[in-house]
Parts: sequence; C-alpha cells; structure tokens
Amino acid sequence: MENQKNKMIKKSQIKIQEMAFMLVAVFIFFSLVLLFGFSVSYQNIIENANRINEERTLSAITNLANSPEFSCTGSRDNCVDADKVAAILNKQNYEKFWPYSSLEIIKINVVNKTEKELISCTFANYPNCDNFLIYKKNVENERTISSFVALCRKDLLNGAVYEKCEIAKFIAGTELEEVK
Amino acid sequence: MKFYKKAILGMPFDWMFAIIVGAFILFLAIYFTVNFIQTSEIRQNTETAAIIKSYLDPFETGLASGKSSNVSFRKETRTIMSCNALRNPPFGEQTIRFSDKNLKESFGNEGEAVPIKDKYIFSEEIIQGKNWYVFSIPFFMPFKVSDIIIISSENYCFYNTPEEIEEEIKRLQLININMTNDKKCAGVSVCFYPTSQESNCSIKVNTNSKTVDKDNKKVYYEGNLVYGAIFSSPEIYECNVKRLMNKAAELSMVYNDKIILLERVGCGSTIKGDLTNLINNIKNFDSSAKLKSISALSENIDEQNEAVKPDCKVY
Repeated sequence: MENQKNKMIKKSQIKIQEMAFMLVAVFIFFSLVLLFGFSVSYQNIIENANRINEERTLSAITNLANSPEFSCTGSRDNCVDADKVAAILNKQNYEKFWPYSSLEIIKINVVNKTEKELISCTFANYPNCDNFLIYKKNVENERTISSFVALCRKDLLNGAVYEKCEIAKFIAGTELEEVK
Repeated sequence: MKFYKKAILGMPFDWMFAIIVGAFILFLAIYFTVNFIQTSEIRQNTETAAIIKSYLDPFETGLASGKSSNVSFRKETRTIMSCNALRNPPFGEQTIRFSDKNLKESFGNEGEAVPIKDKYIFSEEIIQGKNWYVFSIPFFMPFKVSDIIIISSENYCFYNTPEEIEEEIKRLQLININMTNDKKCAGVSVCFYPTSQESNCSIKVNTNSKTVDKDNKKVYYEGNLVYGAIFSSPEIYECNVKRLMNKAAELSMVYNDKIILLERVGCGSTIKGDLTNLINNIKNFDSSAKLKSISALSENIDEQNEAVKPDCKVY
C-alpha cells in the first residue's frame, strides 16, 4: 500500500514537472516569436523613416535654390546668388532651420582639381574659392543628393558691373538611421 | 484513504496548475496584442504626419506667386497643429500630430508630434475632415521672407471681398471659398469692412486698420498675412508671425553682409542702417500689433533699394 502511494506521488510529481517544463517552453517560444516580430517591425520603422527623409530631401532640394536665402536678384529659376551664399557662411543658425544633415555648393567648372585641392570659401577669401560648405553636422551615416544650379555673382568687367554665372552642384545630405 | 480524495474543486492539481498558468499566458498574449495594435496605430499616424510634412515641400512657391491643391483622405482625419516660437531659436518650430478614424469609427491614438522648422503653416489648431484645401503665397517684408502655407478643411463665405483678394482667390482657384452676398451661404462667414462694424460674421476683417477679429481676439496683418489671419487660430497666427519676423531678421543680417561683399565691385547701398534698425525692431517684436511699424520701415528700405542702379540692387 505504502509502495503504491509512493509510486503515485512520484507519477504526479513527474506529470507536474512535465507540464511546468512544457508551459515554460511554450512561454519562451511565444516570447521569441514576439521578439522577432518586434525586431522586424522596428527595422521597418527605421527603413520607412529613412525613405521619408530621403524623399523629403529630394523634393526639397529642387526648391532650395529658389528660397529667399539663395535666390538670385531678379527672380530667375534655379539660380543661386553666390554673394548671399558667402554671407550665409557666417550664420550658424541656419543649421537649425533646414532639415538636411549637410549643405554644400561646389563649382563644377574647376578643371584639373581633385576634391582635396578645392579651396573652401570663407567670407574673407570670397570669390577666389571653389566650394561653399554652408554647414555640416557630424553624422555617422549620410546619403547626399545633388542638383545642378547656376551660381551667379556680381563682378566687374572694364569698370562695369555684370553678373558672372558658373555651373555648380547643390549638395544636400540626409542622415540615415542605422539598423543596429 | 484521504490521500485519494480529489481537490476542493474536484479537479486534479495538474489541471488547476495548467488552467492558472494558461490563463496567465492568455492574459499576457491579449495584453501584448492590444499594446501592439496601439503602438502600430501610433506608428502609422506618425508616419502619415511625416508624409504630410514632405507633401508640403512642393508648396514652396519659388518664383511663382502662389500654389494651391486639394487633398482627399479615404477616412475622416484629425490633425493637431501647434506652434512654439521659442523652441529651436531663432526660427521656432511647429508640430503636427495626425490621427484618423479606426474601425470603431472613433479617432484612434494620435501619432507622435512631427516637428516642422522650415515652414510656416497657418491653420486652425485642429484640422478635421476628409478634405484639405491647401494653398501657399509668398510673404514680403520688404524682401521675400518665406512662403506661408494655409491649410483649411471647412468652407468659407466671403462677404464684401476687396478686389485684390477676390482676384487672388480666383487665380488660385480656391474651391472652398465662396465670394457672395447671399446670407444663406453655408460655411464660415468672413466679412470685410473698411471700418469697424457690428455684425454676426464669425470673422471680421477691417481693411483700413488691417485687423482681423476672430474668436473674440484681434490680430493685425500686413500684406499676404491677411490670409493667415483669416484661416488660422489667433494663437497659431501670432506664433507664426513671430517666427516670420525672426526669419526676416536673419535674412536682414545676410543682406547686410551681402552689401559689404557688393562694395568690392563698387556697389554702394544706403539700406544698411535701416536693415540694422529692422533687426533691432524685430528683437522687441512680441505681437502682431507691432507689424505696422516694421512694415513702415520695410517700405523705406524697399524705396532705397529700388533707387539704386539695377545691377547693384541688394534683393
């Protein structure tokens, strides 16, 4: 009788243990499924955010040349006033205004010059320079989008003021979130 | 033999154990599912707000004198706009929160606030409806400061509309504005008067003193800001006007430096002093009531800029 009782106790304990292990396994399994679901969903959020940011940069850069900060006197489409750009180089505030991670204008008719040889523009050396770095936020992962513009400035020819225009590339950067 | 007796509920222990733990797991599953649905809704609405922000980019007028478009949503939407001129100095910022009707036909959880720093959106604090009427128009003080974007979801009845506003509305083909004298016109009534008058209109525009009475508050306007004053809440209007003035001050500094650069080619300009005055006046700008004095100063700057030879104009 005592033997039968012990056997039944052992059997019940094993049954409870089996069930407990099973339930823990089921719990862990669903937790892993949930974790996987969340990670996929999180990755999608970052991908969507990057896509929206890039689309925004692409649609905005085409209008940027016509914005009051860059547009030429006399309302000409896709024309950037180099005198204004040189003036903006001093203004740190604009970094907080535009949604780009970097903004730069490079003259593209600088033949026989590598990127390192380009002379960076400042208020002091303007107009004898090649690229205007308006601002650059130090971001880890950036994708740039560029658009061609006419970069015009007032110049002198035989004592008369005229507008000298060159082709330049307007480059805007978008910060991309990394999926870690 | 007490040992062989079943438990109080007449159920073996392993069954009770399974039911309790099963119920716990089920509760956790339901809890996480509900949370997941709510998070997805917030995520979706935040994404929509970000897309709306991108959608507004083409409304930069550039060289055009205005742009307009209508947006239709599949479901009834609610967008909450807010504006803070002190955040992100000196430009300030606006935020946009979006939500739409869910399966229960009620507005779901709003998405996260998406900040907008480079646009000036004039609207009511809550834009609700299936259709949006959007138009943009440039604002000058005296140079172009920015484009102002107007968003509305209601129909408007304009009474006694001045000719220049009527022409602008026709040119922009704003279909939610009915210029009429019919008192049965359905929509928000906007009345234009050359003097102060008592009337039942929701919005009263005094074209002489350049003021707009709305929601028992009076705001002042100059130029195209009249549209902002009509279509937006007084709070958003005042905030955006402050933001626009701050941008005008930043641009004045750019033009002051440009004047120095133009001197190298022999172009002199007399507006430097007035631009500095404009910057100083804007520093003390706290409400639209001060627009009049700034406008007078900007007219003076404009006259001087027009007087110089065309090649030496600053803007």
